Amino acid sequence: MSISKSISHSMKSSSWIRAMFEEGEKMKKKHGPENILDFTLGNPITEPPKEFIEELTRLVSSDIKGMHRYMSNSGYEFVREEIADYCTKKSRLPFTKDHIIMTVGAAGGLNVVFKALLDPGNEVIVPNPYFVEFMFYIGNHGGVMKLVETKDDFHLDIASIEKAINKKTRAILINSPNNPTGVVYTEEELKELAWVLRKKRDKGQRIFLIADEAYRKLIYNGTVLPDVFNIYEDTIVVTCHSKDLGLAGERIGYIAASPSITNIKPLMDAMIFANRILGFINAPAIMQRVVGKFQNSSVDMMEYERRRDAIYAILVESGFEVIKPLGAFYIFPKSPIPDDIQFVRELQKHHILGVPGIGFGRAGHFRLAYCVEMDVIERSRKYFMELGGR
Amino acid sequence: MIISNKIQKLISNQEGWTRRMFEEGLRIKKEYGEENVYDFSLGNPDTEPPDEVQKTLIETLSNPIKGMHRYMSNNGYEDVREEIAIYLGEQYGLPFTANHIFMTVGCAGGLNILLKSMLSTGDEVIVPSPFFWEFKNYIENHGGKTRFVQTKKDFQLDIGKIEKAITKKTKAILLNSPNNPTGAVYTEESVRGLVELLNKKRAQGQDIYIICDDAYRKIVYDGFQLPNLFALYDLVYAVTSHSKDLALPGERIGYVAISPRIEGYQLMVSALMISMRTLGFVNAPGLFQRIAGKFQRTSVNIAEYQKKRDFLYNTLMEAGFECVKPVGAFYMFPKSPIADEVEFVRVLQQEEQIMVVPGRGFGRKGYFRIAYCVPMETLQKSVGGFMRTGKRYNLR
Repeated sequence: MSISKSISHSMKSSSWIRAMFEEGEKMKKKHGPENILDFTLGNPITEPPKEFIEELTRLVSSDIKGMHRYMSNSGYEFVREEIADYCTKKSRLPFTKDHIIMTVGAAGGLNVVFKALLDPGNEVIVPNPYFVEFMFYIGNHGGVMKLVETKDDFHLDIASIEKAINKKTRAILINSPNNPTGVVYTEEELKELAWVLRKKRDKGQRIFLIADEAYRKLIYNGTVLPDVFNIYEDTIVVTCHSKDLGLAGERIGYIAASPSITNIKPLMDAMIFANRILGFINAPAIMQRVVGKFQNSSVDMMEYERRRDAIYAILVESGFEVIKPLGAFYIFPKSPIPDDIQFVRELQKHHILGVPGIGFGRAGHFRLAYCVEMDVIERSRKYFMELGGR
Repeated sequence: MIISNKIQKLISNQEGWTRRMFEEGLRIKKEYGEENVYDFSLGNPDTEPPDEVQKTLIETLSNPIKGMHRYMSNNGYEDVREEIAIYLGEQYGLPFTANHIFMTVGCAGGLNILLKSMLSTGDEVIVPSPFFWEFKNYIENHGGKTRFVQTKKDFQLDIGKIEKAITKKTKAILLNSPNNPTGAVYTEESVRGLVELLNKKRAQGQDIYIICDDAYRKIVYDGFQLPNLFALYDLVYAVTSHSKDLALPGERIGYVAISPRIEGYQLMVSALMISMRTLGFVNAPGLFQRIAGKFQRTSVNIAEYQKKRDFLYNTLMEAGFECVKPVGAFYMFPKSPIADEVEFVRVLQQEEQIMVVPGRGFGRKGYFRIAYCVPMETLQKSVGGFMRTGKRYNLR
């Protein structure tokens, strides 16, 4: 059997994930899956809104011709127009369909952006802790990921970012609300970041701000997600409807590039071309047609907020040090012992499956994905209390 | 430059004349009206999915299962893979299981994850030419090198040339039969010759895989039987999609089938999982996986395509063109009456409002491609144009 060297390397370096996964499976077999509380997967639990499914059913029942054929690689024009309208209303910037590319989820969108932007050796700054897939998305296209530690509260450390910028820096990739920390960056820190990037721009170096907003609508306590388009000119937002419309398995998202980007045409053309040659060709047709109409909708966020409150309360009560997340469905507590892999093994012994922080670039922490049934969270209380040592 | 030099080069390498042609096409459509332009440039079938596919789609959505739009395993739903494995088992007489099937975002997505999983930087893939241009991009996306090998006059494999093109770095040969752009289907003889060669290499210690792009597998005419490659050779991956047979190109659904004869294939499944995830596909669209599983034995009406092929082929013969009669897919690849086929294509567009693609877009100058997946009426209305063109170049 022969596989690519780089894939083989990825497999080896992630072998501990497999080992942990297998340990978890063993536990499930031993105690019954219902007795294992699995907080490892970011698989949204909510179903798409009722009206969404109704519209989808209406569409496939209609006799519109050519509904399942190829369309332009950037997606249906009318859908891109609907999304541009939504972006314009939100940002008060003149978005048109030509600023939007429909993609195979946010993961597909990010690969398209990097394929269009990166030459071998170009660097992309990523605040740490980070979603580990980013490393692959950047590396796939010859780029080099440059991690910059965030502050203790997981917010951006602007000075460190400024220091990390060099001649090869092509972009900074942010993810807010954040996986794995649940942190939402403030308007203020993003403005500081923009100030740094503009300084570079004035010296002739254009650095793109790429915002992965996959969790943009999963945001709590009335927090408002700062509008990055109004903070920095060279901004590309990549998002998807996996979370807000509960469509993770259908792979639908889009890229929105700022109308303030000067000389934008070659960039859009390159991304459309990348969408083609990377094998996406176009975002799934039927989902495109529906999501255009549901830009303002969302699954019930209260469902997630209730869970956030419950897990946060349990962790605090049992003595864990943890930052209260403002968005997404992850929480990233400090591990009571420095070795987070060891601690996650301890968790397993107490019937709880989590992911070590090292899997997100930050040892000494662990991630819990609380997009699980409420009952799973309630039942975890007993075990966390046992572990917390209070 | 706002974009990467690499992608800039790729775009300018191939998009020069396509863009010019595309824009010229738009201009002509504006001038003559859409209905008076005969557009044979796109492989975008005008057919609708079979009725039972549409019905099942409605039923599936009307009886929602909890969690049916969520993530699933990167290789797809197990029950769907199971159904496909059973079908392939019947087709090829080999013990396929659900683990040999990997659901993908169409054929293009399937080829990309497979190539990423197979190729290390500098590895070579042999591609018989003329070829579907995207193959080159797919291979180079993952650090591979494309070695083109011209096919024979009848577009069958030239085994002698393939043998010469094999180097120590050759990792795979990528076959596309029925073929885009020629419509040729590799004969049993052609394929046996190749297998003999590859087995010889195997005996010398070099494993070369055959990757079959089977996108047009079900569109075969005159009762022709595709050779069973899985039975003939051990190291086979087949990549297919339901863009053509179920007319679902916009929905991006297909799969990779791994030969049960590949030893240790589990390693490849793990590699494909990583590629699927990291290239950003994550999984094939959930809803259409469910459809694909149920309709392996279904196909759009092939007789319709055959009628169109016969009609177009007869027209071209009557007009005096030289052309190999296609046995599959919905493309024809006639010889251009003049050496500079780009000029010929331009004349065809301007004088007759017939839009086709120059052969150099498929690695063979002096030819042009006609995609006849258009309404019969369009074919009928274009007859005069082809006839006059035949006369214009004294083909008769």
